[in-house]
Amino acid sequence: MTFDPMTARALMESHYLVFAFLASLGTMQIAVSISGIKGLWLTPNRLLTRSLGIALLATSIVIFFAQPLWVEGPWAEGSVEADSATRLWGTASLDELAAARNVNDIHGGMAGTNQAIWFPIGAALAFTVSGLVGSVTAKATGSKRSTSDDDAVGLEALKSRNYFKVLPSSWRSFRSEIAVYWRIRLAGSDGFSIFRILFGRNSG
Amino acid sequence: MNEFESHFLIWLNGLSGNVKLFDDFMRIVASDYLMPLMFSMALLALWFIGKTPAQRFEYQLATIMGASALGLSNVAVWLFNITITRDRPFVDYGDQLNLLFYPPTDPSFPANPVAVGFAASMAIWKVNRMFGWSAFGLSVLFGFSRLYAGVFYPTDVIGGALVGIAVYGFTTYLRRFLEPLVGSFVRFMRGLGAA
Repeated sequence: MTFDPMTARALMESHYLVFAFLASLGTMQIAVSISGIKGLWLTPNRLLTRSLGIALLATSIVIFFAQPLWVEGPWAEGSVEADSATRLWGTASLDELAAARNVNDIHGGMAGTNQAIWFPIGAALAFTVSGLVGSVTAKATGSKRSTSDDDAVGLEALKSRNYFKVLPSSWRSFRSEIAVYWRIRLAGSDGFSIFRILFGRNSG
Repeated sequence: MNEFESHFLIWLNGLSGNVKLFDDFMRIVASDYLMPLMFSMALLALWFIGKTPAQRFEYQLATIMGASALGLSNVAVWLFNITITRDRPFVDYGDQLNLLFYPPTDPSFPANPVAVGFAASMAIWKVNRMFGWSAFGLSVLFGFSRLYAGVFYPTDVIGGALVGIAVYGFTTYLRRFLEPLVGSFVRFMRGLGAA
């Protein structure tokens, strides 16, 4: 090995973040096109949104696994063998591409705990982008909403309104209801609930 | 049993090296990144896929249970690993195996990737059978790829699946200790317009 595993890990993390972001964005688009949450659609059309989601998901996988072809990393041509201890720094060959990402975490790969940190960041970014683009799309297409949806909050409200209109009402609703919800649920919760034990049985 | 599964593993791994395209496919499936991300994607999809508020709430609770079970199965596997130290197949039969994956340094039993996959799949299956079976299919494929690559014994994979299922059961049991925190978390996310 002619490189610092920390350098390799930093590279892997940056690639993984893009992978998680694109895959989350794609998955989210597929899911919201099925559930009809228009406020998060990247396009005004259901079929187009779903197709875009599938394309994003497939692209994320292709990019992540093909990246070693043009980005230098712990997968130099000729050094990609099963044992990642023998890796050299450089770009991979097409012949060795499939194994290029298989780097042990002690040699610069990403452990599960590391992925558990980066994945939520990618997913949160994907949600932010969906909310932002969905709002712009809704504004551009002038989508109408029915008055019966006025009481809805959260994702249900996003079926007919954009994110920036939904956020203030959803947050207000949360703040006004959470204390009551907590008390009712605490009173009805199992006797083994640690919160019930901590706050007492009569806290409801 | 040990001899039988060793022979089976050597036979299965012996199939590698014939069709490069299939070997490459298995290398990608066996990677640390593809399948774990797919399990995460399945749970993420579950969060958003509910069509009515009631169904969405049920699915979102399942997502939280799945994500928690996924994390806890790592802890369960670690507990096994500090109790039972089983060498990897390439340590015992290195000269007879064509290793397609890097040699992991942790013990072989139970298979961590399979435990994680089955824990997430159980959570999905509990609320949506068709989606759940697909997730189980991915978990089985993940386990098979690691077998084919020569880094697990068949009983490691079976053990991993059982650990994943058991941990999911334990996680749902654990939920009673944490109520009403779980439901409140979904409410909080709804307050942010994300649930």
